[in-house]
Amino acid sequence: MTPITRDMLMAYCDGQLGDADRSAVETHLAANPDAMAEVALIQRQNHAIQTLFAPAGAEPVPARLKPARLAEAQKSRRWQTLQRAAMITALLGIGMAAGWLLRPSGDSPQLYDRLIADAVSAHTVYVAENRHAVEVAGDDSEHLSTWLSNRLATNLAMPDLSAQGLTFLGGRLLPAPAIPGGRAAQLMYEDRGGERLTLYITPAQGVDGPDYEKIAFGADTALYWANTLITCTIVGNEQPETLQAIANTVFSQLSPGQPAERVYRG
Amino acid sequence: MLEGPSAIRAVLDQFLDQLEACVPALRRYARALTRNVDLADDLVQDCLERALAKRGLFRSTGPVRAWLFTILLNLHRNARRSSLRRGTQVDIDDLPEMATPAPQPGHIALAEMARAIETLPPEQKEALLLVALEGLPYQEAADILQIPIGTLMSRLGRARAALRLATGTPSEPHLRTVK
Repeated sequence: MTPITRDMLMAYCDGQLGDADRSAVETHLAANPDAMAEVALIQRQNHAIQTLFAPAGAEPVPARLKPARLAEAQKSRRWQTLQRAAMITALLGIGMAAGWLLRPSGDSPQLYDRLIADAVSAHTVYVAENRHAVEVAGDDSEHLSTWLSNRLATNLAMPDLSAQGLTFLGGRLLPAPAIPGGRAAQLMYEDRGGERLTLYITPAQGVDGPDYEKIAFGADTALYWANTLITCTIVGNEQPETLQAIANTVFSQLSPGQPAERVYRG
Repeated sequence: MLEGPSAIRAVLDQFLDQLEACVPALRRYARALTRNVDLADDLVQDCLERALAKRGLFRSTGPVRAWLFTILLNLHRNARRSSLRRGTQVDIDDLPEMATPAPQPGHIALAEMARAIETLPPEQKEALLLVALEGLPYQEAADILQIPIGTLMSRLGRARAALRLATGTPSEPHLRTVK
């Protein structure tokens, strides 16, 4: 039989013991008035603590402590931040928007907000280019995949969106000074009408914030999500539902797996 | 582990429900730590906002409750440190003198107990309230405080011995062990 230690008596009072230990302690208590007194004292202390503080847990919870409400408030604060950035983008140009987002302020935007803003800036700049829209063309998809995977230190496959009527044009490496790795990848696609859509991909390391966000920037919509390995922002002028469907396809293909499982398609 | 955007929506709703279920316990614990209704609710609000902003970091299916208590405690400690720097903390020596020992053995006066808890070192108070008030398993309390379970138990033991002295209960009885 194991000796009944003071720690066991305490664990008994705190309801931490399994059935066997509990009955061992009870047998011990029946024969040892000193141990019984010790247990009674701890139980009285516990009871006093409960009497003092437990009622606070039964009070009605004030509205300001409702998680759904706090989440809404956070979301609308971010929305205002991004909407203002979008307006400044339209009025004054991309550099100003980036500068505004990076301004020193007590309510400074979170990292993922910057990633979304950077994705929209990069989209705006490069979809307008004709001959230099991408750095490496999509017909060399395997090289592109290896190169960008190395630069981002994350396995990246080039998603095939031909089922959505989108042709892969290619991609480029971009600076992303806000995040630890300092690099982002942009992949560009084009539909039959010549409208372009971009994916802006970064490693997820060091980026916190929500896993999912959808924001309208003028005619374009940005759809952001993050998993444990990457963040991806899709920017395009498709209808939100279409963009969502594209996002699901991208997600299933882009999700980095082992090299053997990678999808290499043009 | 990897999920598509629409699945993530559902995960968010589930996450909000999990947070909501923990709010009464967080308020109770915060109230006992701070002894102040408004400070306690401010602490819980900060904790929930932090959890929402950092929910990207909480991707695992691990226990939300332990994670929230850890966040709350960190915020509480930061606040306590900065109020110490500002010198607004009441010194223990300035606290009203302990009442005389309770006249009836076995009776612990609540006001006396409340004062005694205030005089505990913060790490003992944090541990004791997680176990005696919140009724958490030792392992979960140890995880929240980020200490080994043996350290938790020795803090609980010291806290209880200190309360015993401060509430004027007779000195600890001798303990024998049975084989």
